[in-house]
Amino acid sequence: MTDQIVNKEAEEEVLAKLDAFAELPDAPPKRKFRLTWIGYVSCAVVAFWLIICVVGPSIAPFHEMDMDGDDSFLPAGEGEYGYFYLGTDYLSRDTLSRILYGARNTIGISLAATLLAYLMGITLGILAAVKGGWIDMGISRINDAILALPTIMLGLIVIAALGSSIPILIGTAAVIYATSVFRIARALGQDIMVQDYVEAAATRGEGVWWIIRAEVLPNAAMPLATDFGLRLVFVVLFISSLSFLGLGVQPPASDWGSMVRENLQGLTYGSYAAIWPALAIASFTIAINLIVDDISAKSGGSLAKKMV
Amino acid sequence: MKDDKSKSELNYQDLTQSDKDLVAKLVRGGFSRREVLKLSMVTGVSLVAAEHLLFDGKAAIAATPKKGGSVRMASNLHGPDDQLDPILFTSTIDYTRGRATYNSLVQHANDLTPQPELATSFEPNANATEWTFKLREGVTWHDGSKFSADDAVYSMNRHLGENTTSVINSVLKSIKEFKKTGPYEMKAIMNSPNSDLPTLMGLFQTKIVKEGSTGGGIGTGPYVLDSFQPGVKSVHSRNNNYWREGANLDAIEITAITDPVARVNALISGDMQMVTQIDPNAFRQVESADNVTLLSTPAALQLGICCLKNSEPGSNDDFVKGMQYIQDRKRIVKRVLKGKGSLGNDTPISFAHGPDFCKELPQREFDPDKAKFHFKKSGYSSAELFVAPVTSGVEDMCLTAQANCAKIGFDLKLKKVPTDGYWGAVWMKEPLNVVTWNMRPTANSQLAIQFGPGGNWNDTFWNNDRMGELLRLSLAETDPAKRHDMYCEMQTLVHNGSGMVIPAFSNINDGIANNIMGMPTVPLGQLGGNEWPEFIWLA
Amino acid sequence: MMTRMVMQRIGIGFATLIVVSIIVFIATSILPGDVAQIVLGQSATPETLAALRAQLGLDQPGYVRYFLWLGNMMTGDLGISKAGGATISSLIGGRLGNTMMMAGFVALISIPISIALGLWAAMHPGTMLDRIVTFGTLSLISVPEFFIATVAVLILAVNLHWLPSTAYMTGEETFVELMKALAMPLITLVIVVSAQMIRMTRAGILNVMSSPYIEMAILKGVPRGRIILRHAFFNAIGPIINVIALNLAYLVSGVVIVETIFAYPGLAKLMIDGVQTRDLPLVQACAMIFCGTYVVLILIADVGSILSNPRLRNPK
Repeated sequence: MTDQIVNKEAEEEVLAKLDAFAELPDAPPKRKFRLTWIGYVSCAVVAFWLIICVVGPSIAPFHEMDMDGDDSFLPAGEGEYGYFYLGTDYLSRDTLSRILYGARNTIGISLAATLLAYLMGITLGILAAVKGGWIDMGISRINDAILALPTIMLGLIVIAALGSSIPILIGTAAVIYATSVFRIARALGQDIMVQDYVEAAATRGEGVWWIIRAEVLPNAAMPLATDFGLRLVFVVLFISSLSFLGLGVQPPASDWGSMVRENLQGLTYGSYAAIWPALAIASFTIAINLIVDDISAKSGGSLAKKMV
Repeated sequence: MKDDKSKSELNYQDLTQSDKDLVAKLVRGGFSRREVLKLSMVTGVSLVAAEHLLFDGKAAIAATPKKGGSVRMASNLHGPDDQLDPILFTSTIDYTRGRATYNSLVQHANDLTPQPELATSFEPNANATEWTFKLREGVTWHDGSKFSADDAVYSMNRHLGENTTSVINSVLKSIKEFKKTGPYEMKAIMNSPNSDLPTLMGLFQTKIVKEGSTGGGIGTGPYVLDSFQPGVKSVHSRNNNYWREGANLDAIEITAITDPVARVNALISGDMQMVTQIDPNAFRQVESADNVTLLSTPAALQLGICCLKNSEPGSNDDFVKGMQYIQDRKRIVKRVLKGKGSLGNDTPISFAHGPDFCKELPQREFDPDKAKFHFKKSGYSSAELFVAPVTSGVEDMCLTAQANCAKIGFDLKLKKVPTDGYWGAVWMKEPLNVVTWNMRPTANSQLAIQFGPGGNWNDTFWNNDRMGELLRLSLAETDPAKRHDMYCEMQTLVHNGSGMVIPAFSNINDGIANNIMGMPTVPLGQLGGNEWPEFIWLA
Repeated sequence: MMTRMVMQRIGIGFATLIVVSIIVFIATSILPGDVAQIVLGQSATPETLAALRAQLGLDQPGYVRYFLWLGNMMTGDLGISKAGGATISSLIGGRLGNTMMMAGFVALISIPISIALGLWAAMHPGTMLDRIVTFGTLSLISVPEFFIATVAVLILAVNLHWLPSTAYMTGEETFVELMKALAMPLITLVIVVSAQMIRMTRAGILNVMSSPYIEMAILKGVPRGRIILRHAFFNAIGPIINVIALNLAYLVSGVVIVETIFAYPGLAKLMIDGVQTRDLPLVQACAMIFCGTYVVLILIADVGSILSNPRLRNPK
């Protein structure tokens, strides 16, 4: 027991010396978090949509369910029951309002699902990497099985069986995309586990959780963070695909993917009702991808190679 | 564009093909003053000459069928459950293949009266406990063997009995059995008298197959089945030994395109010559295209909401009244069905059923105040309605109802579920669900199927003895006035007491290329009740 | 050593197949309704349901049916479709061919284009072309694919009449006619798949470019183009092959939307149809094919990346 206390003090000493070393003029440069102007613009776009998620419904000119008109697909301008900045959709509802209301659903569901996927994927992946053996074998087989099956079919089955409520959508997307995160986390974990400093820590007698916390996570953090952006985009598109098959968010709640789907027919006679929500989706996903590109361009490293 | 000819001698035959197409389109749509003006402007002739053209065209178009050519038809649904066994036909594509390959004993004319097909005559005995069918001689199967009463009796008996899987088994319950009484004669022995029997013998599933088989694509029909891939397509070619005139095309291909937007695109770009089930949102696109026509046939295709009377909240009459008054019927027809529909009066009978329609029953109107009053009286302030896209327009109708309910403070929650599994798991199980019914050939069968007490498909579980009594009596009633009174009483009973909410009827909307002539208008299903293989020809 | 790894992977692959079949079985069992109800639809009555279930053998308990199926599968008998009565092999046969044909054409076109464009963009980072490529691929992967497909159809088929709007095949077309019929889904899939591969090629190479030994080569004065082609590319091949494999797997099993929009009779839609008709033998057969394809492709990808990375060849 006294050995451990001695170890902790020694550790603090070493860390303090390392910090001092980092301040020296010829020390290797600290990783800086700098973005290009594209990165800043993208951050602004993402921030804009996140704010809309919160205040959208309060600033929308109409309720997402208002449908007092007889004519559908009206162009932008003065209409049957008010002024429509972006025109009306196929049921004479205001497109702008539905986009503002829909931000909560599209972005909220995708964000929640991706975070959940990460939680599950990282936990299980690193667990499998560190423990190895039968635990690794078992989880990996189930993971492979889920990965091998088409995502849409899995979504279809789960939603047909359990209904299409928001928690189910989040859960389904989370489980499906946790599989890819699992593979990455496991690969990263394995790679780190064979590094010298981890071997050293293990020889020192550090426990599993210490190794995970102090060694694996910090080195994996940056590559995983960039992957987060990619997964978020996939989840947004997955939910839109489910809407294409009629399994997405329940009416009357609006969701950008469903809005594109239900107004597709209007494209054939010049209505933009399907284009505005597609632009909304694209602006959000493109912005996220640009941020991801920016960060990963600066922070390379051999670990990022594992990231597929 | 033609030279200005103010003479009225310009004939339909002299037109260019594209002008002919335009005339065909106008003739089909029923031309008005505006259409005459439009034709005049397009062809450059005077109004008088234009009118003459349209009449001339109408005559030419109704003239003798030409032989030759091939068509491709795309239905809206197909899959691994595509059938060649008539007793299991349940989808449009099954019915179409059935019509092309087989014959029934009886077929429906445009006005739904039964006409002889493989049966040359059908006579009841004195008290309608037996019907005698005389069968046609000289008919051969596609494989060369001869058709006889053995085949007919075998095919019809497959619908009866304990172990049958026939989908029309309960409709034919009044029949005890079919018996062969001669090489070309058979009798139907009845359990109870049914004056509508001949019409029932023309239902989609009553196709005659070879004795001992389950269909297998060998029939007596106008087209021979060349190849069949379930869920992909089937190819048919003309039966040159067909026992009557009617197989005008050389070949037919039958497939389905499940995505509604793709289906319409295929029609307009000419990849398909006929498609079924055009979505209301696509009407504008089809009507503005020059080479195709939108066929919109008034029918009693029902969009309905069932409030089950055997559970909450449907058992509460005020709740049902609230649901009925909150339906903005005019707006549903105008905005959801884009005008191609008719108002529903919470009964399954529409004017398409002919004289049995009770036009005296006052039309229930959209009345949010009355709805609010009834909902309050019922004590319910929210309810959950299960919705599936069982036919186009149903979902949007429910969305409209939801918006109107929200305005009077009632929270109507919509639970959207997929169509597969809907009929087994949701319909007739959940307290509030949607339903659609295809039109039945007789008002009696329409009412009996849905509102007969204790019936298999009584989707509101409304068991009314007077209704059962009237259903029986009206089948035997011969005096037209008395009969009309009975049907009116039945419709009034349904209108006031059942849990059914029927805000609107949809038309049957299909799209066809302009050079297709002779399309029947039987309102029992898509594309002329699926009768088209027998009748159409290419101009 | 390599063969031992391959054999090991194949064994693991079989285990995965079994796990997949169990998952599929459980999943379809929890779905509401069964195939008899779907076939009889709205017209079902309790009597006809019972009769049809008896005919289809659905009255046996679930696990019995599963083991019967497993036994048959081992001997190569895929069974009979419960929904329509056709043999599963006849249902799958044509559609498997269609799917492989489409996947083959897409791969043939998109892989060379993607690698070339990705390499070029990596060799000239920051130039106009790079920016166009990056932004273009970014936009294309950020929009739902049914949107891309619909816009393409509207422009090319409905408005310009250059191509047919659905991929309807009569079975006896010439090669040129076949290409015309397949052009629209081909274009859509090539766009969707290339965008991913271009991005990954570019990212993979750029990542490798920051390694120390590349810095060494730059310091030694080797021209950038040669560095990329001779050194960086082969070290980045691991992730590149991986993304190609994943996209190929997607082309076999994940293209439901494209198959729906273009009415293309492929395997992905067949499996969805099977789920919607609760036709268990059909769903299982498709699942086995998809899983097998996935396992094989991932195996190839892993072998490729191990071969290209000496350190992984001899793990500690």
